[in-house]
Formats: sequence, structure tokens, C-alpha cells
Amino acid sequence: MTTAIRVDGIHKSFRIPLDRAATLKYRFTHPRSSARYRDFAALHDIGFNVEAGEFVGIIGHNGSGKSTLLKILSGIYQPDRGTVEVNGLVSPFLELGVGFNPELTARENVFLNGAILGLTRRDLQKRIDEIIAFAELEEFAQQKLKNFSSGMQVRLAFSVAIQADAGILLMDEVLAVGDARFQEKCFDVFARYKREGRTIVLVTHDLGSVNLYCDRVLLLDHGRLVADGLAADVVARYKRMVGALSDAEVGEGESNRWGSREIEITTVRLLDANGATHHTFMTGTTLIVELEYVVHDDIARDFACVLTVQRSDGLVLAEADSNGAGGLSIQCPAPGVPGKVRFTLDRLQLLEASYLVSVGLRDRHRARVYDHIEHVASFRVLDSAGRGGLVALEGVWSRGAPSTEEASTMASTS
Amino acid sequence: MQTTVVDALEPPTRVGGAPKPRSPLRRHLNLTVELAITQFKLKYTGSVLGYLWSLFKPLMLFGIMYAVFVYLFKVGGTSTTNFGMQLLLGIVVWTFFAESTGTATGSIASNGHLIRKAFFPRIILVIASSMTALMTFFINLLLIVAVAAPFGRLDLGARSLVAPLVLIELYALALGVSLLLASLFVFYRDLGHLWEIFMQVLFYGSAVVFPFSLLHNHVLITLVAINPLAQIIEDLRHALITPDVPWASTLAGSLYFVPLLIVATTLIVGYRVFGRLTPRFAESL
Repeated sequence: MTTAIRVDGIHKSFRIPLDRAATLKYRFTHPRSSARYRDFAALHDIGFNVEAGEFVGIIGHNGSGKSTLLKILSGIYQPDRGTVEVNGLVSPFLELGVGFNPELTARENVFLNGAILGLTRRDLQKRIDEIIAFAELEEFAQQKLKNFSSGMQVRLAFSVAIQADAGILLMDEVLAVGDARFQEKCFDVFARYKREGRTIVLVTHDLGSVNLYCDRVLLLDHGRLVADGLAADVVARYKRMVGALSDAEVGEGESNRWGSREIEITTVRLLDANGATHHTFMTGTTLIVELEYVVHDDIARDFACVLTVQRSDGLVLAEADSNGAGGLSIQCPAPGVPGKVRFTLDRLQLLEASYLVSVGLRDRHRARVYDHIEHVASFRVLDSAGRGGLVALEGVWSRGAPSTEEASTMASTS
Repeated sequence: MQTTVVDALEPPTRVGGAPKPRSPLRRHLNLTVELAITQFKLKYTGSVLGYLWSLFKPLMLFGIMYAVFVYLFKVGGTSTTNFGMQLLLGIVVWTFFAESTGTATGSIASNGHLIRKAFFPRIILVIASSMTALMTFFINLLLIVAVAAPFGRLDLGARSLVAPLVLIELYALALGVSLLLASLFVFYRDLGHLWEIFMQVLFYGSAVVFPFSLLHNHVLITLVAINPLAQIIEDLRHALITPDVPWASTLAGSLYFVPLLIVATTLIVGYRVFGRLTPRFAESL
């Protein structure tokens, strides 16, 4: 994999003038006034890489430096120290509707916004109808933007923004706008971007979405990078941090992971048939949950792996126990030796929604929990057929007289 | 078999398959033109007479100045051949310079949202702003030619070929000043007022509304003749209206190179200062 963004030792501080006076008179009458400011360190020694095709989330409380970091990545701000290296074309804007003018019509705004995006008038002329249609604004194309509701403006802005040709997309709080349906649209597009192999860096406060869509999450705290890892881990850490601040969740923070840790889960991956990591799967394709672990104490026993799949709202859909029917007994390797377990679904039967995976390692009698991680991974399923419900029932429709021998053989061979 | 349900939420499929980004130059050029056209449109939408206003203003000034100089001061002499046309041309050129530098001053400061949220070469904003003024200027110029030519008010010849070069010089001067003003205005808001006052002085120092022959002092003539704006207006008059008006270089004598030097210096300094201050725009707006 190639590295899309390489950030090394970034520092950024802002000068906050103690008295704001941007006039020439002030400059002349207070020649040494430049000393009257204080430095605010917005980012401190930030370094990380983003691989091409990764979907990275940046989280942190207000003022932690998330947006500043994004602005440095896009080139809007220059870092005081450190280097940013970007391989590929970066989307030129961070928010939806940048440069929209209320006095222009929807169409004219599309051309203006598209131009900022790097699209030529000719490109846009070819796409204008589908852009307007996607925004569901066909009847309002010639209306001035100032007469639009904020929802309509956001839909229009989004429809233009997704026309971006950039391979690297930087987005700041794009999800904070619009209703639930609009957010679904956002994520459908993100899923398409992922399929196209584009790199996405998303700044957001919406932890649920981060958990579901990001391969990796960076956590910023007071301008420092405090965590960089799997979405579930980092989000849990952030929740603990916030909990500690508000005194509300103290002590419950560790509740997403428990166990004796005699065997420890080191990695959980969701793979497709080719062994590539994904967070979005199509109904009917192969999904493999791969779990790596390391044994710390010589327990010299078999153990079992339990896997739980939940819908994002918490509904438990299925539980798979490696010790169950058709299961496998896992021999414990020697201490310090890593091991690997795979759970393969040849044809994913889940339909379009977002799902959470929890894994646990237990002894065969389910008496002892070695390591259990709640919501360790998440994935999204897309169904090209757009079926309703949760599960694709792989039944067969047939016509004709009931319960004849012929009909049942037909069903089983087709 | 299952029927495929067309999902209303499915994102539009891209025309032409995989993304094919345009070259940076093309993207930036396209953005510049798009911004300029938008500004031009915005300027005249909402008013009943629209574009006509940008013609009325210089015409009004022309009417007043014509009355003052022809009937009050009774200007005369060889260089005042076709004085009305000379006056009109001077005012149209002046209007362009005043308008382009005036709007360009705020072109960075008034686009804070764009600068804080989107990345593109900031110079595009200044160029687009000056191009908007350029559009009005060309339309005005064309109207003058269209109206004056049938009445034999233009005197064209081989010397007229210099006109396009002088127009390029005019644009270079306007752009240089605009770059300087636009970048400094972000940090010093007094500059807007300061420039307006300076423009009033420059108006009379550029021989816009009176012929050089009105100046009797030799030093004064040289002083005005080395002013690039006066040189531009005077040369355009010589090239398009009447050879009775001398080239500005003959008036400036041995200092004939000064106007061009000023234009080149302004453009280079403006560009350099703009480039130096660019990284600080986003944080200061």
C-alpha cells in the first residue's frame, strides 16, 4: 500500500492579540505593540501516516485541534514546524457549501461550487441534471439560494461535493448536518468512495459513525495525539476521557473489555474473500472475521472463541461459538506464541445496515473468560438489490401444485 | 430471480467512469473565469438598469468635465483635437483603474469564509476581481468605438497597433496595485480609505480630464508624463483618437522609461508582497 498522507512532527500555534487593532494609526502610535499577544499552541508534535484507501476518523473534544490539523493537511494553514507530505490530489474544501452565494440560483451555485472543486464548466454541464436530481431540487433549479431551506441548501451542497475528483477527501463535520436520511446518503457515498479506493479523513463528533465507518481513529487532546488505532479502542478511550472529565462514567470505562487476559486478543480484522481488510461488504459476498491472539500464561487447555453480531442499535442478531455444532477445538499454543482463528461466512446473508462485532475467548465450559472485547469491530453491509429487512432469506419461489416430488427436486437443484 | 429495485438513494454514477482530474492550471483558470463571471453577474442583478449603470457613471462625469473644460476654461490648442473623445477615453480608462483597484482591495478580506474553508491559490481571487472590472471596461470601450467610429471620431492608423500593448500595460498596473492593496488590506483596514484619498490626487495627476497643453510649467508636465496612468491614457489618445496628441514619451523626455519601470516594479513588488502574506490570510480573517 502506498502512503497517502505523511505527517511528521507538526507544531502549530496561533498568536492571539490581547487587544485587536488592525489599523495603521495603531501601528504608528504603538510601534512595539507586536509584543502584546499570547501564543496558543493548537497542535503539538503530531505525526502519523495515512495509507491510500484508508478511512480515518479524527475525534477529540472542542478545541483539541482537530479542525486545525485538517486545515494543515489541506494546505489552508502552514505548520510552524514539521512536514506534511501528500501523495495525490486533495479535495479543496472541508465543509459543504463553501462559496455558496444566496443571490445566485441553484444552478449558478453548482457551477461556482464545482469550479472551486476543480471541475470545469463543461464537466458540470454534463453532470448538472443528475446533481440537481440527486439533491431532489428539480423544480427549484432556477430559484435563488436565499429562498431555499437550510435542508435544501445542504442537499445541493452535498450533491456537488460528491462530484469531487480528488483521491484524498478531507471532511470537517460533514455529518453534523441534515436529517437521518441525509446521513445515510452521506455514508452510501462514503462506501462508494471506499470501493473506489479513495482516502478519507473525517473530523467528527459523531462517535457512532466513527465506530462504524473508520478503519482507524486518531484521538486528539489539547493539541496532542493521544491515541491512534482501531476505531473501537480509540472511541472507548475517548469515552473514558470524557467520562473522567464529567465524573459520570468513572469506573465503567473499562466495561467494553474484560477477562483474565491469560490469553489476549491482539487483532481483529474483517476480511473479504481475498484477505483484504474492509468495513463495507455486499450482501452475498464472503466475510471473514480473523482474530489474532497471544497466550501469556501456560494454561495448556483448549479454549473456545465466541463471536457476537449486533445491529448498530444493539439488537443481537447471532452468536457463533467455536465450540458449538460444527465447531473446532482450539489447542492452546505455548506461551508467547501468537495464534490465529478465522470465522468464515461464504455468503453474507445480512442486509443493508451497520453491524457491530464482539469477540470473546473463553474456556470450553464457558466458565472462565480470558479476554472479551465488546464492539471490537464494525462493518456496514450494502445490498445492491435494496431489499428490506435484516436477513436475505435464501429461499426459492416456485409455482404449481404443492408437495409433489418434482417441485422439491426442482427447488433443491436450482 | 430477483427484481432489481432502483434505490432512490443510490449516488449518481459518475459520467465517464473513474475520476480524471484536470490539470492544475486548467482548474485554476476555470475557477478564475467562473468567479469573475459570477461577480459580474452579481453586480448587476437586482437593479433594473443593470449594466447600464456602469455606463451612466462615466458618462455623467464626462458631461460635467466637458462642460467645465470646454465652456468654462475654453481649452484649445493643437492637442485638443476631438477633445470630447479624448475626455471620454480618459474617463473610461480611469473608471477601470479606480474600479478594479477599489474592488480588489477587499477581494481577500471579504472572502474570509472561502479562504478559511477551501484551498486554492489565493491570487485567483484578486485576478478574478480585476477581470470583472476588465469586462465592464471592454464593454464600455466597445460601445465608445461603436458609437464614435461612424461619426469619424476615431483616427486609426499604423500607430493604433500600439493600443493593445498599452492596454496590457494598464492591466499589469491595475493588477500590481490590486495585489499590494488586497494583501495589505487584510492586516491594515485603513488602507481602503487611504487609497481613496490617493485616488483623488491621482485623478488630477493623470491628465484624465484635461489636456497636457493646459499645463504650462515644464516640470509639471514631466511630473505628470512619468505617471504611468497618464502615460497610458495619453498614448491611447495618440493611438486611437488623434496624432495631434503626442506620445507620452516625447513629453517625458529623457525620463521616458520611468512609467514602464513603475508598472514593472509595482507588479513585481505586488506579487512578492502578496506571496509573502498569503500564508497568514487564513489565520487573520
